[in-house]
Amino acid sequence: MSSYLSLFKIKFINNLQYRSAALAGILTQIFFGLVFIMVYIAFYTSNDNQGPIALSQLVTYLWLNQIFFTLVFIFQSEEQLLTMIRNGNIAYELCRPMNFYFKWFVTLYASRIAKVALRFLPVILLALILPSPYNLSLPYGIKEFIVFLLALLLSSLLATALSIIYHLLVFYLLDERGILTLLGVVGEIFSGLTIPIAFFPEFLKTIAYLLPFHYICDLPFRIYSGNISLSVALPNLIGGLIWLILFGLLGYMISKKMLKKAVIQGG
Amino acid sequence: MTLYLQSLKMHFKSLLEYKSSFIIGFLSQFLVFFTYYFIIIALFDKFDNVKGFTLYEVLLTFAIIQFGYAFNEVFARGIDKFDRLIINGSFDLLLLRPQKILLQVLCSEINYIKLSRLLQAIIVLIIAIVNLNLDWNIYKIITLILMLISSIIIFLAIFLLMASYCFLTVQGLEVRNVFTDGGKNLAQYPIGIFNKYFVIIFTFIIPYAFVNYYPLLFILGRLENKILIFSPLVVLLYLFISFKTFKWGMKKYTSTGS
Repeated sequence: MSSYLSLFKIKFINNLQYRSAALAGILTQIFFGLVFIMVYIAFYTSNDNQGPIALSQLVTYLWLNQIFFTLVFIFQSEEQLLTMIRNGNIAYELCRPMNFYFKWFVTLYASRIAKVALRFLPVILLALILPSPYNLSLPYGIKEFIVFLLALLLSSLLATALSIIYHLLVFYLLDERGILTLLGVVGEIFSGLTIPIAFFPEFLKTIAYLLPFHYICDLPFRIYSGNISLSVALPNLIGGLIWLILFGLLGYMISKKMLKKAVIQGG
Repeated sequence: MTLYLQSLKMHFKSLLEYKSSFIIGFLSQFLVFFTYYFIIIALFDKFDNVKGFTLYEVLLTFAIIQFGYAFNEVFARGIDKFDRLIINGSFDLLLLRPQKILLQVLCSEINYIKLSRLLQAIIVLIIAIVNLNLDWNIYKIITLILMLISSIIIFLAIFLLMASYCFLTVQGLEVRNVFTDGGKNLAQYPIGIFNKYFVIIFTFIIPYAFVNYYPLLFILGRLENKILIFSPLVVLLYLFISFKTFKWGMKKYTSTGS
């Protein structure tokens, strides 16, 4: 356990070095946040009928989307792992006294946490002080905020579990583009990152709530703004936890099977 | 020009070696870019206009910007990925050859997979035009063609500007996303729906508004002034500045020496 903790620390500190990338990330997030918010505001103000979410809740949702983007975006590829799989250096991993799956889970998770740690503060501060209606609202209540943090933890773990499976599939396909790009997009849409699920047409909304992806953005960000009550949120958290365990097991099994059958390309 | 055509042919041949990979890539890209349109369609499912613009008017705006961007992603990929040439030092190689630098950069990479995106932009453009029921006349047709051309030019100019920056910093400009992706995301909508400061920035600093907003107003018949027909040509000035900056950057270039 302690070895995983120190691995986490190393990877975390390692990722903190990329400060200019983070600065660019911050600017991009602020810009995209503003653009998306202005689009929705334009829609809301030029129509008499109100949208499916109150505007202030929607704006808050969009800011949270930008702020925690690096934490919850499913398909961030880790070049180091992909290269290892492609060029066969993955064989070295077999010599290490650490479980392959957990090692990479910790590595990927640390990189997510580090990225978000470098970026979130300036964006949150700016988003909070912007004039209404552009501003990020404060959490709906203390209880909601705590549940939101739990949901965000769950969501980031789920996103990591999914992204490992995505990386492992490269082992079978050797070319992660194509079909996996498609999976990425499905995940992105159904997690509510592109557009909040509330705006989906009815039949897609039904599908979205059956799939596991909505635990990633839709659930935590709506808890924060009070768009769903805690009594609805808590059973949802358990549902998310079940999916997390399922995907964790799936990834673990794939990694076991993969390393057993490993056919090393070249070397 | 013949050289560029040659390289188009060559890249196409190398592509044919990996047919199935290309087909899967092409189809998945096609579906991926549908998600961009998904946002618009989902929003118009709930609302019926945005600042007076209807679904097909927004789709027209959208398609024009996507067209130019996709065109550059296919044919000017080399400039888009210019930072790689600088970082790994292969730019020095280009300097040694007796050909125009920019031509060589253009020839270095062509991304046929992104043709799917171009195709999609054209399809959406046609759908939008068919559903708009405008009374077309020669002026409007000229405007539309100029808009499409200027959309290609503006992204080429932005890519060039970003590439010039690499000469100074010897690394990719990470904020480039704000200008290319971010600007593209913004210009997918009629720019008039945004805050006035954004309108000013994207009229005078990066002239997206001249590509698909002011001429759009003319096509839709909101403004009558015929001078708007030629407003897309403002981007030529922008291209000129970018080109000069690139030349200037190349003079300042010192190799990474690998």
